Amino acid sequence: MAGTQSLRSPAVAPSAGVASGIGALWRVLRIIMGYPTGAIGLVLILLFALMAIFGPMLAPQSPFEVSRTAAGGVVRLSPPSWDNWLGTTNQGLDVFSQLLWGARVALTVGVISAIGSIVLGTLIGLIAGYFGGWTDEVLMRITDVAFGIPFLPTALVIISITGPSLALIILLITLFLWRTTARVIRAQVLTLKTRPFVWAAKAAGASEAKIIFVHIAPNVLPLSFLYMAIGVQGGVMLEAALSFLGFGDPHVMSWGSMLNEAFKAGAMRTAWWWVAPPGIALSLFVVSVFMVTRAYEELLNPRLREI
Amino acid sequence: MHAWRTFVLRRLALLLFVIVSILTMMFFLFKLLPGDPTSVFVDSNFPDDMVQRQKALWGLDAPIWVQYLRYMGNMLTFDFGTSFFQMMPVRDIVVEKLLHTASMIVPAVIISVALGATLGAWLGWRRGTRREGAAVVTLLTLRSVPSFFAGIMVLMIFSYWLGWFPPGGMVSVGGAGDSFWETVLTIDFLHHLALPCLVLVSREITSPALLLRSTMLEVKGSDFLDVLRAKGLPERRIVVHATRNALLPLVTDVAVMMGFLFQGQVLLEIIFAWPGVGRELVTALNDLDYPVAQACFFVMALIILITNFIADILYSVIDPRVAYD
Amino acid sequence: MALLQIRDLCIDYRTTAGTARAVDKLSLDIEEGEYLGLVGESGCGKSTIAKAVLGILPRNGAVAEGDILFRGRSLPHSSLQELNRLRWRDIAMVPQSAMNGFDPVYTIEAQINEAIDTHVSWSREQKRKRIDELFAFVGLERGRAHDFPHQFSGGMRQRAMIAMAMALDPGFIVADEPTTGLDVIVQDQILHRIKEIHTRFGKTMLLITHDMAVVAENCDRIAVMYAGKLVEHGAHNVFETPFHPYTMGLCNAFPDLADRGRELISIPKAPPNLLTPPVGCRFADRCPFAAARCRAEAPALVEVGPGHVAACHFIDRAAEFRMKARDIGTWQGAAAAA
Repeated sequence: MAGTQSLRSPAVAPSAGVASGIGALWRVLRIIMGYPTGAIGLVLILLFALMAIFGPMLAPQSPFEVSRTAAGGVVRLSPPSWDNWLGTTNQGLDVFSQLLWGARVALTVGVISAIGSIVLGTLIGLIAGYFGGWTDEVLMRITDVAFGIPFLPTALVIISITGPSLALIILLITLFLWRTTARVIRAQVLTLKTRPFVWAAKAAGASEAKIIFVHIAPNVLPLSFLYMAIGVQGGVMLEAALSFLGFGDPHVMSWGSMLNEAFKAGAMRTAWWWVAPPGIALSLFVVSVFMVTRAYEELLNPRLREI
Repeated sequence: MHAWRTFVLRRLALLLFVIVSILTMMFFLFKLLPGDPTSVFVDSNFPDDMVQRQKALWGLDAPIWVQYLRYMGNMLTFDFGTSFFQMMPVRDIVVEKLLHTASMIVPAVIISVALGATLGAWLGWRRGTRREGAAVVTLLTLRSVPSFFAGIMVLMIFSYWLGWFPPGGMVSVGGAGDSFWETVLTIDFLHHLALPCLVLVSREITSPALLLRSTMLEVKGSDFLDVLRAKGLPERRIVVHATRNALLPLVTDVAVMMGFLFQGQVLLEIIFAWPGVGRELVTALNDLDYPVAQACFFVMALIILITNFIADILYSVIDPRVAYD
Repeated sequence: MALLQIRDLCIDYRTTAGTARAVDKLSLDIEEGEYLGLVGESGCGKSTIAKAVLGILPRNGAVAEGDILFRGRSLPHSSLQELNRLRWRDIAMVPQSAMNGFDPVYTIEAQINEAIDTHVSWSREQKRKRIDELFAFVGLERGRAHDFPHQFSGGMRQRAMIAMAMALDPGFIVADEPTTGLDVIVQDQILHRIKEIHTRFGKTMLLITHDMAVVAENCDRIAVMYAGKLVEHGAHNVFETPFHPYTMGLCNAFPDLADRGRELISIPKAPPNLLTPPVGCRFADRCPFAAARCRAEAPALVEVGPGHVAACHFIDRAAEFRMKARDIGTWQGAAAAA
């Protein structure tokens, strides 16, 4: 309950803008650790992060390097062995190395697109909610259009026209994820706007920018964090889906492209060690983010415990 | 009634606005194509005048705004032109593929909602027990497994290892009937449907279950039930009142789910080699068959928009409070 | 024979912490044509009695002992079918105004018609005419009957509730806190309508409220409840010459039209926990006049005047208590002493 209190404290001291954001993030992490599932999720996420940062250095091979026997023959579809911990693909590539590199791709896409989308979404939500009127109307209609666009088909069409690249995929995911954040933040701003501390700031002659960024923004940050976490998960999933469909960046090996290769090669029949690792890694990552966000949601909104 | 009509008109206007926005976006996207649609068809070695003639034939020599209006007109009348490769009207292709997709989604949604709602009511009843908590976590975890991984696993286990189900497709080779219904109303079809349906249901069951769990609780505690009892209503009438209130959010949920699946099932169609509209989109994009790709995309977007629209309207009908907010 | 006879009624609520006896050995009669006000603080069991009469106790609540007789027929021992025959045709209710007594997804008219159709088979025309009359009586525009509950203000909803309660011309109407949460002017209007049901149509009524002033203004008789027990019952003399210190305290807590200048005194501290009720007088802990006997022995209801009973060990000192009870210091002293 203490956590609920500290998160919901309505009046943030004006000087504490960014610092309070970081402070809030720290408090949030500590509270999430208090939930068993939250703690497990956080530890798993930490492991994935370490995997993304150090994995490629620890990987025995490059994801595109062919494993060869001493005699120079290609080690095709080898089950897990001492040389290839998770076996090899039909082209003799090392599954374990691909898995480690894949973590970097997944988290890069997930984190960048999540940050991009919450910055965009939070800004739009803040501006629409605070100014209201025509600004709000225009921004919300744009949001409505964004909600009408089906992600997967749109992304497939655009990628097939412009050619696949990681940057494009990140951009597309960002443009897809911001809309929910914008709506939620706007709703939050609408209620914050009527709080006494905003009137007080207005009466004290604060500029609109100052009211938005110093007085209101810190109070929506906890929500933004939540949507960022959900966004990382969404980004990872979407990248994997695109790569699985063969629309990923061909220059990198992501979990989705591993599954795509495995699927195309019919590895479900022949090489479980090729199919299972990327799939399990993906699922585990998504589940761990989910455990954290659920704990976080519960403390953000005690009413959710009812749901 | 007046407020309701305004509400519906507003929604309708928004729907049209979004459709036009998406079409405009598509028009310019396909304009951006490397070269133009003729480049797929017309060899670059062709003499210039032949290319020009071809362009005139396709209407590509007209000013851009004429092309734009013509394009909008064609799209809105579902005139998608002719497939580059299949040599048949795109409309026919899309209609067929849509039916195939629907034949996978509709049963899955019906099963999900029926099972999910029942499960949800049970969960609401057993509220707060350990078993209920475990069930909720299981549901949510199932939902977070990526659908294509779930699909691959299911295929691996039940088709390749156990051999209980066919590894993909809608019907066995030569099993297709003369009409859609003749195809769909066969045991063979159901046999093929089982696995993709299982994957869909395992995910889609979550939301009706959780929804019903919370609304049932809310309704059970609502004051008007006391008045209904005091009015001397027979038990079954009271159940009708309670259910109608509890099911409200479910209606929206079902419509949204249905719409969402029309785009989300692309992955499953690929995995299970299901000849639906999503798979057709991927194939057409790979084959550079742009008329087909465009049509598939437009139809998928349209279905999502329309189901969401229907969900909103339906909800405002059964829950009169909505339209007046 | 009284229209409604409550005989040694005990109602228990099962909670996770144990069983709470919300109503304890309570007996009360309501005569034909009487307008009884049942007062007490929230949680004293007054609404529980209303729910028990209507047979709508929550799942965890049940009549443990005693009986409620309506025209000599036991309500708690009736089958659901028997009860449903009585409901609304003979006993109707006006629910708490804070409640959403109407189902949000049907129009007001549909819900009134539903009440009618459940019990009688009237033609469309008859039902329409009846709603015309009812709406005219409660002062609602007829056209608004096609509206949904959420389109009504709280006051209008409550008027519609009164209309619905009157639909089948029942002999007995229970109004459970019908005006809580409404603003004062609306409260007066609603109470006025309810009183009219009594004066114009001669209905027997039970009004449940925490507001002494409302009862004083509206009802013929008054029953005061404290922590599940009836502590005083009588006609207007209950607030003119109260015998129970709790009644004296309640009279103090509400603005008295005749005595505007006086300070409002509220009774300090909270009622006892009903999971472990005290042995003696339940009010002893808050009573400025409590003696050792009060904590040891529960007082019985004794007749203190014609048709006026009170449950206090010191009814002979009531005049002295009444004097002292008007002084705020008396009550504060009791709070300090305990």
